[in-house]
Amino acid sequence: MQASQPEPLALDGPLILPLAPEAVACGFPSPAEGYWSGDLDLIKHLIRDPASTFVWKAAGHSMTGAGINDGDLLLVDRGINPAPGRIVVAIVDGDYTVKRLDVIQGRTVLVAENRDYADIVLHEHTEMSVWGVVTWILSRPTIRRGVRPLR
Amino acid sequence: MTTTLTPAPDQIALVDCVSFYANAERVFDPTLHDRPTLVLSNNDGCVVAACPLVKALDPEIMGKPWFKIRAWCQANDVQARSSNYELYGSLSSRVATILGRFSAWQEVYSIDESWLKLRGTPEELEPLGQEIRQAVLQLTGIPVRVAIGPTKTLAKVAALGIKKNPAFNGVLDLRRFPEEQLSRILDSLHVTDLWGVAGRNSKRLAALGIHTAKELRDADAKWLRKRFSVVMERTILELRGQKCIELETQPPTAKDQLIYSRSFSRKLTDPDEMHQVLSIYAQRVSARLRAQGSVAGVLSVWASTGWADEGTVPHSAHRSVPLLVPTDDPIALTKAACVILPDLFPTPGIRYARAGVVLTGLSAADGIQFLPVFQSEFDDRGIGDVLDEITRKLGPQSVGVGRGGLKTPPGWEMKRAMLSKRCTTHWDELPVAVA
Repeated sequence: MQASQPEPLALDGPLILPLAPEAVACGFPSPAEGYWSGDLDLIKHLIRDPASTFVWKAAGHSMTGAGINDGDLLLVDRGINPAPGRIVVAIVDGDYTVKRLDVIQGRTVLVAENRDYADIVLHEHTEMSVWGVVTWILSRPTIRRGVRPLR
Repeated sequence: MTTTLTPAPDQIALVDCVSFYANAERVFDPTLHDRPTLVLSNNDGCVVAACPLVKALDPEIMGKPWFKIRAWCQANDVQARSSNYELYGSLSSRVATILGRFSAWQEVYSIDESWLKLRGTPEELEPLGQEIRQAVLQLTGIPVRVAIGPTKTLAKVAALGIKKNPAFNGVLDLRRFPEEQLSRILDSLHVTDLWGVAGRNSKRLAALGIHTAKELRDADAKWLRKRFSVVMERTILELRGQKCIELETQPPTAKDQLIYSRSFSRKLTDPDEMHQVLSIYAQRVSARLRAQGSVAGVLSVWASTGWADEGTVPHSAHRSVPLLVPTDDPIALTKAACVILPDLFPTPGIRYARAGVVLTGLSAADGIQFLPVFQSEFDDRGIGDVLDEITRKLGPQSVGVGRGGLKTPPGWEMKRAMLSKRCTTHWDELPVAVA
């Protein structure tokens, strides 16, 4: 089954459209009148520019130290300068990877934030380009009982 | 009016995406980056788009049927994709949004073209064009070209120049050429290369001694208007730099016609199946109608055999049904679409390849009030809203009216065997980055 028509990701629409309390025509005027200017708009909060923001999915465990777990959703903004220190989606030799971009001793490095994984150090023959900059990591909390944090 | 206060006339820029479908495929597939890539039509029928790398291998590739070039593609490492209209539509609207930031006047002309009004000298506008290219490429991954001229017709001429000469680096303001050089350029273009000059007029123009764009520009516009049409006169005046075709910058608040038409994945020879197809198409288009809050005054329906299908008796049927009361009711629209059924299969040996339902005469649903006597029997039932609610919750095939409600998975739905992921529109097809 195909969607019948291209329907772009509705990133620019508000989440909800509640009625303004000012619209109540009779009765005691709402004390909130004049204070209410719309509920929190999560889309606006998370997305700087809907035209350049895309949703990606992370697969793997190399970035757990940075809070990216297997299966997390990533908001990736192509309009942000990929400065060293940023977490980026990069293309390395034809594959997409998510890592922290850094420059160490003059070499560009895609740093893995998990000791079990190696960094990707770029050499002259490695083809790398940054696809976009990760702006948000969307994780669901785990459901677990009986957890006692180590002290 | 004093001349000193007259602002410089607006220039028209045509911004078009380079090999849009192929480059849209490349945004989420780096393996296509430097490989020849082509895109197939509905049902993986024939080539509808090909990047320059493919055209270099076969300049005649466009329109060739997939089954004939399949082996050739494999031998030449040509990558083929089914048309991913979800992805193209999403990237197209992002490109259009970004272009709109560069001008207050924008006409989105097609899925991969926008007209913009810009103001400035060529020395100012060509760097701006490069800025536009850079912004769109960075934000969306789509390369674009920016062709600038005093009129739409001349901007199209600039677009031809950019395509022919890589030295322009994707941006050209036609005003950078002195008068006589522009004349030489126009003299090198055949009249049919021009925007708005139909190929069928080529012979008649040639008979009048008009072969090139320059000859057309210098011809008598009034005289040619009489021999051809007002369109020809406009083209001539536009070639002289006089704006005749304005930007249609008022975006229609709602579409003034809605079309749902598709090719079938296999040819249909059974009247019952055609009944089911038309019922479903009518319901899908009526859902769109309700989504934009309109009612339709006229429903047109058509069905036809494949134009190149040698295994069928060629046949096509078309019916227009004026709706007594403009409506968005799926039952009324389904009934109306089915009036074509008696016209189908007039002789044996027919197999249909495609069908469509078109709604016109659209008006706002809340903008009309009728006397009760004109109200159709379907109004106030709210059936459309109920259907929409159910399909929103349970998916588009969960419920339908009449034959559209049959649960058998329709075997004629479109085939897209080489479809890439619909990365921007489907939660279960997100692009994946390895962590």
